[in-house]
Amino acid sequence: MADTPLLSVEDLRVSFNTPKGVVEAVRGIDFELGQERLGIVGESGSGKSQTGRAILRLISGNGRIEAKKMEFDGIDLLSANERRMRSIRGNRISMIMQDPQYSLNPVMTVGSQIAEAYRVHSKAGRREARDRALDMLETVRIREHEKVYNLYPHEVSGGMGQRIMIAMMLIPEPDLMIADEPTSALDVTVQLQVLALLDDMVRERGMGLILISHDLNLVASFCDRVLVMYGGRIMETLDAKDLHSAQHSYTRGLLECLPQLDGSHGALPVLKRDPAWLEE
Amino acid sequence: MITVENLNVMFGRGRNTVQAVRNASFAVAEGESFGLVGESGSGKSTVLRAIAGLHTHWTGSIKVDGMALTQKRPRAFRKLLQMVFQDPFGSLHPRHTVDFILKEPLAIHRFDTVEPRILKALDEVGLGPEFRFRYPHQLSGGQRQRIAIARALILEPRVVLLDEPTSALDVSVQAEILNLLDRLRREHGLTYIMVSHNLAVVAHLCERIAVMNRGVFVEEMTDEQLRTSTPIHGYTQQLLVASKGYDREAIDGFVEFT
Repeated sequence: MADTPLLSVEDLRVSFNTPKGVVEAVRGIDFELGQERLGIVGESGSGKSQTGRAILRLISGNGRIEAKKMEFDGIDLLSANERRMRSIRGNRISMIMQDPQYSLNPVMTVGSQIAEAYRVHSKAGRREARDRALDMLETVRIREHEKVYNLYPHEVSGGMGQRIMIAMMLIPEPDLMIADEPTSALDVTVQLQVLALLDDMVRERGMGLILISHDLNLVASFCDRVLVMYGGRIMETLDAKDLHSAQHSYTRGLLECLPQLDGSHGALPVLKRDPAWLEE
Repeated sequence: MITVENLNVMFGRGRNTVQAVRNASFAVAEGESFGLVGESGSGKSTVLRAIAGLHTHWTGSIKVDGMALTQKRPRAFRKLLQMVFQDPFGSLHPRHTVDFILKEPLAIHRFDTVEPRILKALDEVGLGPEFRFRYPHQLSGGQRQRIAIARALILEPRVVLLDEPTSALDVSVQAEILNLLDRLRREHGLTYIMVSHNLAVVAHLCERIAVMNRGVFVEEMTDEQLRTSTPIHGYTQQLLVASKGYDREAIDGFVEFT
């Protein structure tokens, strides 16, 4: 990791005001990110997605973000005004959402959406944006990219939709990419091909990547480092290659309850939750 | 118990016809657990829905418990065969209580002892009587899937069709549901056909596994053969490699099978 990390977060807390009182989704987490692939794993409700969204301050109206420090490349993300945040979102830090069918505009062709993403963040003209968008479609390995440019989101498959999302997020050449379950809706082979694309961007352009996922095996084989979250806290941080020798009982429990291809038909061990995990 | 021969399922008409399943044939013995794996669009769910009677545009022959099935299914068939769906959020009526959800099939099939059956069904899926008057939104994903399983089992069927029963759940909850399905099968001598895209899940619950790609049965094997990686077909080999995690070199070698 470089001396000055790309992103550093200290004591991040996200809470929501609800009619039933305050719900704390993220409860004081610290981490740093360099030009690497960082995985955040956990079950639903562990706060992993809210952590990703908090970095871009994309929290719904009843939510509150607090932190001692949340700094990206020398910029204080907590005190930046909305105008500043808008110039960061998409341009410097971008985010891939889980479901392309919901995140793309249904009444614009996919090509013009990618071109628009480029024009918003640069002063390029229409023609140049179109050429860049076509190049980008080629980069994300879409065959017949000229034809796909003019398709609408409902006319493309899930795997292709996700590649289009990635093309749109990569075209402003961000320094940090937050991918929230980018491949959960895809078939295994397509999933790996999409990850290979992100991998290329990290290697070739020195981008930082945060991969949020519930799939431990995938994260272990893809990322450099892994944060394991439970109940809004980080249970442990480890090098991805050491995930299978993890010590924390939560991580162990999650790994053990996965059915194994070379396992037996016997009953699977069930995760036993320890209330102490939620304490300091 | 179940024999399927030359099953073809077609959607659309004229030039827009899509053949979702081509000449599928397989047999499942009583008490056996049969798995169908494949990627999206392979036709695995379509096979299941054709057996359940949810798709009527099929040709070929489907026999369940010696009964040759037509497009229209008698009530006795519904009692013999039940289905559990993938999404526990979509498959339970949001404005019906658990009690009503479990009562409805009993009323349709004119069971008389309603009360004890509901309590027994809840108990079997590991939920206490306190869940009886709750609405689906008051339950977690795993609890909802347990209710969906209870609803299927309350008619005492002999065959249960499982369409990706755990893919919407967390891995910790998935383990609980897989254990539950396994126990119920042993206790009631049920016959399962399970569809999943997850090879490890299918290998865990099923003794025999068929692989589908683009509507065609690619190959059939035992769970032992899948474990020891003896499948011959390139498509199955590729699925096995992909399910083992991220491996850059292997990914660059992926090909499309048609």
